[in-house]
Amino acid sequence: MMHSPLASLIAPRAPQLPPRAGLGLKAEHFQDVLATRPDVGFFEVHAENYMVAGGPFHHYLSLICEQYPLSIHGVGLSIGGQSPLNPEHLQRVSTLLDRYRPLMFSEHLAWSSHGPYFLNDLLPLRYDTATLTRVCAHIDQVQNLLQRQILLENPATYIEFDEAHFDEADFIREVITRSGCGLLLDVNNLYVSCINHARDPLAYLDALPLRAVGEIHLAGFAEETDSLGERLLIDNHGSPVDQAVWTLYQRTLERTGPMATLIERDNHLPALAELVKEARLAERYLSSTQVRP
Amino acid sequence: MNNKTTRTLSAAALALALGSALSIAALPAQAAGDMEKCFGVAMKGHNDCAAGAGTTCAGTAKVDNQADAWKLVPKGTCEKTSSSTSPSGFGQMAAYKAKS
Amino acid sequence: MNMQDAFSAVLLDPDTPYPQGISCHNGDIERRFAVYRNNVHSGLINALATSYPVVWQLVGDVFFQAMARAFIQEFPPKSPVMSTYGVQFADFVEGFASASSVPYLADVARLELLCVQAFHAADACAVDPHLLIHALNNPDSLGQLCLQLHPGVASLHSTYAIAALWTAHQHQGQIHGIDPYQLQSAVVLRNGLRVEVFAVGCGCAAFVDGLKEGRALELAACQALEADPDFDLGQALALLISHDAITGLNPTAEVSP
Repeated sequence: MMHSPLASLIAPRAPQLPPRAGLGLKAEHFQDVLATRPDVGFFEVHAENYMVAGGPFHHYLSLICEQYPLSIHGVGLSIGGQSPLNPEHLQRVSTLLDRYRPLMFSEHLAWSSHGPYFLNDLLPLRYDTATLTRVCAHIDQVQNLLQRQILLENPATYIEFDEAHFDEADFIREVITRSGCGLLLDVNNLYVSCINHARDPLAYLDALPLRAVGEIHLAGFAEETDSLGERLLIDNHGSPVDQAVWTLYQRTLERTGPMATLIERDNHLPALAELVKEARLAERYLSSTQVRP
Repeated sequence: MNNKTTRTLSAAALALALGSALSIAALPAQAAGDMEKCFGVAMKGHNDCAAGAGTTCAGTAKVDNQADAWKLVPKGTCEKTSSSTSPSGFGQMAAYKAKS
Repeated sequence: MNMQDAFSAVLLDPDTPYPQGISCHNGDIERRFAVYRNNVHSGLINALATSYPVVWQLVGDVFFQAMARAFIQEFPPKSPVMSTYGVQFADFVEGFASASSVPYLADVARLELLCVQAFHAADACAVDPHLLIHALNNPDSLGQLCLQLHPGVASLHSTYAIAALWTAHQHQGQIHGIDPYQLQSAVVLRNGLRVEVFAVGCGCAAFVDGLKEGRALELAACQALEADPDFDLGQALALLISHDAITGLNPTAEVSP
């Protein structure tokens, strides 16, 4: 199997997104984006929504990506799945990337397909050596086919596994070293997971390979309590970014320098202007960050 | 559907139909029903990073209702349609009725 | 059974306990594992609700969720492209005993599936009107002309007033007074970016079916007349032409007798 030295040659570093705040592009906002042309740094879309033959989705994305840098975020490759990657789906990703030539393509450190079924959720991985080998092989396969570096997103998790060999940050470091992919650092996921597993978010942040970060995601979570009355945070992208996550974002930027940052909102979608305001707030954090030497 | 038909249509009848179609189509589109947002299909992605709209790379706080499907009764706009048994008798005007 | 086998089996079956080998810091595994189970189900229910909004409104939230949940157990998705999920939903609804009091529900679902397919169908430009005029000027070959339709065009025959029911749930539509028990056919098309649904006679629907199957104009029109003696070819062609649904003309019919 090909590992670290080769991987970085095979997958040249992707062109970078501008170090600005971007928004997840929602179909509900297509017309508003074109009418108001908000001053945001980029738009990001979910790859699978554009795996259709024609119609409004392609019409609007084609117009919008003429005016804004584009990032494509996959939710269906099941990089961590024990099944082989779905070759048909991988080909669809490749076709989509050829068509829109996004500055970035990212996927998740998770699994979502099993056997013939697509389970429609980003499910947690047991961080052991077998999983590490499999994840790296799948990333190699994707990067080889796409001929580019991809970013892998850290997950939000709700349970852990008894027989894990690595903690999550170490596992991510290994994946990045071996496969040559970059890190999509979802600060909300980091916070949600740390609260859910009673870990210190800052210590976790410092354990991550932050030099590999190519993009940051921010979103809101829902707060529940478990049956013992302890906080259980759910990454539902249904509200504005929480203050605790903004603070952690600031700590992150101090370590990474200015970095392309996506505001994600998928549930309880507000008017576009509301999201643009949230992107402005992220840009204030970005502009007060020193460029790292 | 059967490919065979005993019918024929004359060239003149076909030309007449196409001619009338072209003249109807040449008329300005009626404003009614031509609303900009008349998509008929929600402008909404099926795959999304949250449970609200499709694929989840995010969870949902809302636990969906787990009522027993077999004991439920539809309770939506279907209650407002005129049925063949409705007091208004609207449905009885129907030329065709559902087989029961 | 390995971890992902165990995990996925349990996710789709709400009556089984969480799998072995998982943990959390305070021991409340059940509540935390339930988040995954809920994500899977609510995500799929929402995907179906996005495709079938009229079915959803007709039966209400609680019923739709329960019916969708039953569907998901039987037909979990196979493709990560969720806009293609649920093609078996109408057939499932037809056999779903609790929905039998709404006998038209399955046909409304069929119509909504055609709408989703039309929405995402490949793009195609309307035929140059000069070609239609040219065809008109050559009446002798008109009968053998094949009309190519936009990939989003589809028709549906129903014993229920599906187009009226569908229209009543768009914008300021009114459902009061609609009699669902009227035989109605529908033509679905995408005109530019808009999906439109038309209530038509069964002759027009048969005509569209014939054209989609590659039959020449005369044969398609004759079959439409057999389906419905009141079929008006001029109106059917006007509907297709004025909504940019004819995308090409092929002079030679390729239909076997």
